[in-house]
Amino acid sequence: MSLAPAHVAGVGMVRFGKYPADVMLEAMALGAAREALADAGADLAAVDGLYVGHVFGGPVAGQRIAAQLGLDGRPVSNHENYCASGATAIREAWVALAAGLHDVALVIGVEKMTDRVAGGVRPDPGDLDAAVGYVMAAGHAMSARRYLADHGATREQIAAVAVKNHAHSVHNPWAQYRKPISLEQVLGARPIAEPLGLLDCSPISDGAAAVVLCTPAGLRRLGLGSTGPRVLGVGLVSGTVQTGLGDLNAEDVSRRAGEEAWRLSGVGPDDIDLVEMHDCFTIAEIVRMEGLGLVPHGRGAAWAAEGVTALGGRLPVNPSGGLLSRGHPVGATGAAQVCELTWQLRGTAGGRQVDGARAALAYCKGGTVNGTDGGSVTTVVMTA
Amino acid sequence: MPSAESPPATRGRPFREGLLALDPPRLLGSRCAGCGATAFPARAFCPACRTGVVEPAELSTSGRVHSFTVVRQAPPGTEVPYTLAWVDLPADEVRLMAQVVGVAPEAVELDMPVDLELTTFGTADDGTELVGFRFRATVAVAA
Ligand SMILES: [Zn+2]
Repeated sequence: MSLAPAHVAGVGMVRFGKYPADVMLEAMALGAAREALADAGADLAAVDGLYVGHVFGGPVAGQRIAAQLGLDGRPVSNHENYCASGATAIREAWVALAAGLHDVALVIGVEKMTDRVAGGVRPDPGDLDAAVGYVMAAGHAMSARRYLADHGATREQIAAVAVKNHAHSVHNPWAQYRKPISLEQVLGARPIAEPLGLLDCSPISDGAAAVVLCTPAGLRRLGLGSTGPRVLGVGLVSGTVQTGLGDLNAEDVSRRAGEEAWRLSGVGPDDIDLVEMHDCFTIAEIVRMEGLGLVPHGRGAAWAAEGVTALGGRLPVNPSGGLLSRGHPVGATGAAQVCELTWQLRGTAGGRQVDGARAALAYCKGGTVNGTDGGSVTTVVMTA
Repeated sequence: MPSAESPPATRGRPFREGLLALDPPRLLGSRCAGCGATAFPARAFCPACRTGVVEPAELSTSGRVHSFTVVRQAPPGTEVPYTLAWVDLPADEVRLMAQVVGVAPEAVELDMPVDLELTTFGTADDGTELVGFRFRATVAVAA
């Protein structure tokens, strides 16, 4: 273990979904922050610094939030790593606590998308991939087509990820979608980027999630006796420039992110009881779990179809419902994953509780960069 | 954003400097003098061995489809459907992303041979045509 763990004193969310245009980003962030502070029993006066993850929130969104919340004057920083922005903010807070800079840090992941993003997301216009017509769904569709050809997997097995995650979301009051869906619905949905259809894709969403992280001195400041779940470490890697004609689904970036997670946390892959995985698309959950080494290469689709990664299975993945069901307000997702891990490790996740959860991993992948195997990947390791 | 119907480009300038040559049409990459790895677009370092000196390289125009999708939904302003592919250039051991034309979406297959073709990627502020690239199915098939 390289740095001291961060104690999770409180977590909170606003339900993800589609909010009216006049519900401001700041208001959603405040809602999540107040939930987390209340969960921690913390006054604003106890908070030393604010870390905000967002992508589309505009300049100094964090300071706009601080000025409305009552944290004006504190150190506030904004963190953008696309869909890994919230988790990156958590990593920066963890580092600041371990460095002795703060004892109590508030992290907010927040995004308002439905009034400013339509038809899907794509890279920055400066990226070469954007110029040739790349959209995120297309990249995952090409991954899926290759996966089907290389591993003898079936379209139905990939679709099983959506069926599984939506079944989990029935028990998650914070999820955008809480209805079960059938395999036939996934297979028959409107095509987005073949072979993927609408129900293989996470939605465009609004939402916010917040986490109060503490040092042991911070816990004493908040008057918290029992320590509760801890963030042992947060890995962060970026994609590398690829050469050659190798496996399109090699997921070396996920492998490296996993190694960072184990190195920073001292926890090993065999210790993990559940995973919150960045299932922005069905196929993404499959190949990323394989890249981490938590599922054998080429077996992820079969495992999803066989129930191995379902609640009650050997390694539950996305008990929250994942991005597919909880929704994907991109900057908020990493913080929402840590909320879910906290509830799971406290044993308070209700109908979606993973029995006996002691150690858990949350994975986010944010953005794409031409010629590389990804933008940013974060791996949060927590224990009860 | 190019559409499948846009005509092949005949004049203008590359939409990004150093990305391609117009006559004859070639994609421009970089090749490591040390390990031989080729990169596209050109980079100032070798992504494979990290130590070799890199030199400019014209890439082969013959490719094959490693994977593909038919994009049916895109942000406003982008005409759909279109076929997007990972195209392998076996002679250079380079994989790149590009649109594929000259073949109906339902007729695209893995390992299908394709050839480089220049196409318009828009117009510059001074009215000059900006030239980009795509690939065309080598064997005549119903488009
Ligand atoms: Zn080299």
